[in-house]
Amino acid sequence: MTMNNKKIWRYFFLIPVIVYVALLIALPLLYILLISFFKSDSYGGMITTFTIQNYIEVFDQVYINVFLKSILIAGLTTFICILISYPFVLAVSHKKPRTQKILMTLVMVPFLTNSLIRMYGWLVLLRKSGVINQVLLGTGVIHESLSLMYNMSGILIGMTYTLLPFMILPLYSSVSTIDPSLLEAASDLGASKIKIFFKIIVPQTLPGLFNGSLMVFTPALGYFFIVDILGGGKIMILGNLIKNQFLTARNWPFGAAISIVLVLITSLLILAYRKLGGKMDDLGGA
Amino acid sequence: MKKLVRITVLIICVMSLSLLSGCTNKTGRVVNVLNWSSYIPDSVIRDFEKETGIEVNYSTYSSNEECLAKVSSAKEGTYDLIFPSDYMIEIMTNRKMLEPMHWNELENIDNLDPFYLNQSFDPGNGYSLPFVMASTVIAVNRNHITDSITSYQDLLNEKYRNNITLIDDERIIIGIALLANGYDMNTTNEEELEVAKEWLLQLKPNIKAFDSDSPKNFLITGESDIAVLWNAEAALAYQENNNIEFIYPKEGSALSMDNFAIPKGAKHQEEAYEFIDYILRADVMKKIIESYPYKNVNQETQKLLGDDYLENDASNIPSEVIENGIFVKNIGSSIKQYDKLWAEIK
Repeated sequence: MTMNNKKIWRYFFLIPVIVYVALLIALPLLYILLISFFKSDSYGGMITTFTIQNYIEVFDQVYINVFLKSILIAGLTTFICILISYPFVLAVSHKKPRTQKILMTLVMVPFLTNSLIRMYGWLVLLRKSGVINQVLLGTGVIHESLSLMYNMSGILIGMTYTLLPFMILPLYSSVSTIDPSLLEAASDLGASKIKIFFKIIVPQTLPGLFNGSLMVFTPALGYFFIVDILGGGKIMILGNLIKNQFLTARNWPFGAAISIVLVLITSLLILAYRKLGGKMDDLGGA
Repeated sequence: MKKLVRITVLIICVMSLSLLSGCTNKTGRVVNVLNWSSYIPDSVIRDFEKETGIEVNYSTYSSNEECLAKVSSAKEGTYDLIFPSDYMIEIMTNRKMLEPMHWNELENIDNLDPFYLNQSFDPGNGYSLPFVMASTVIAVNRNHITDSITSYQDLLNEKYRNNITLIDDERIIIGIALLANGYDMNTTNEEELEVAKEWLLQLKPNIKAFDSDSPKNFLITGESDIAVLWNAEAALAYQENNNIEFIYPKEGSALSMDNFAIPKGAKHQEEAYEFIDYILRADVMKKIIESYPYKNVNQETQKLLGDDYLENDASNIPSEVIENGIFVKNIGSSIKQYDKLWAEIK
């Protein structure tokens, strides 16, 4: 096979990916961008005149509050995920390779069930007369049922539970690239465990940490079904706001404008990562 | 071993053949129905297919806006029969999305109770015919709550902290706030909406959750003792707990009527009329109402229904409630005001 031939074949096998990205990601996004400049009519249709009114409206105090609430929830979720993931990943990385494989597969097992159904599972656990409250009441740990859901704690439990694997997986692949001799050297030179963690492990795993944070933070801004089911629909995040524009307010252009702002925020985060010296390959390669 | 493989392959072939044959019917007639999820029991659809030889392609939606989006984005003629509510009929007729309703195609048209015809959203029923009706109701678990509740204002009582579940519908809940303050449920007056917002913020500490999927579960599991929900949901909750009381507040309740309508350019209109006619049959409608206890609008069916339906205020809404009730109306672009208010109180 000549060089040229090889190249053609390479492109040939790329075609499905290109078609997939173009048809299912690029085109819909372009459509969203386009309609975000339209006007909505009173019957839920769209008038094809150019306007930036939708973008001006996004910066109304009411919607800025929704943005801030979403960022708070997403930020807290990311933080909790980091707190859980580091000890887990470090513990796993000290196990035998075979055990490591099994444990990491187990992390992915929940993906086999639809996340919506898993949320309904949490209802059974968390409700006033649910399993957790029954056990705690029965053993005398508490004397009155805890409000575990239909509030902020329900939202955070649901978000953390759903998004945790997205933090664990990139962090794990970062941790497994750390040269063990570095840790040994640090320990030989008298560094405490905490010092080793902050001076060696964290800097070495920064790409994984950032990648994980991005993969947790971004969907957390939009997972409206978790807020609806475990939060009792009492808090509105960006996902609910966008959904409402399409499904109740019949204001597709405004919904599109909020979506575009959301895409911009995500892009800014990635840009910030690059500015801080992160490599794009580290993000995708996890 | 080889034999076993062969037999298995043979069985699979036969099974897939029989599956294929199940998909085609003798007449080749079809009707494409787009309906609310859980509204017509499967058995009714199967019986219709058996009786008429018409194959029913059934798909569902869970909000009027979803129905609008599905019909307007699909190719014309994709759906033959839809079930939009009152204000959506108005929107769809305005957008010229519906075919005129030909009464003379329907043998069982006289079964419909005239009380429910000729509503404001479709005067003269030129484009739609009523299917069932619903009303919001306050359901109270009398095992835990003994106070008298007669008005929406009573929900503000501080005793009900974190104990009230509401349907997650901005038009209905803002509408109730407006009713509580003596205003029109469909107002577009900004000052009145501001009062409604303050009222809802005052109510908020009492709200356990907003849930439209299954608010009855909150009552059944004891998660909350008071709920504002659709009457059929309340009736189903009552089946689980007989100590649930239904209260139609004196300020009035929000009404909703779902209707048969044929989208513009429907390809199987004849079959759609046959389907409507079948549902209008007294015994068929009885089966539907018994599974989903909404308010029946079929006067012949009413004669067949048993006392558990007729004497239950949640399923068989009293006529004075309907007379005192208000439909959600299309308010045009003012929906944006409502939507913003909704974002503010959440």
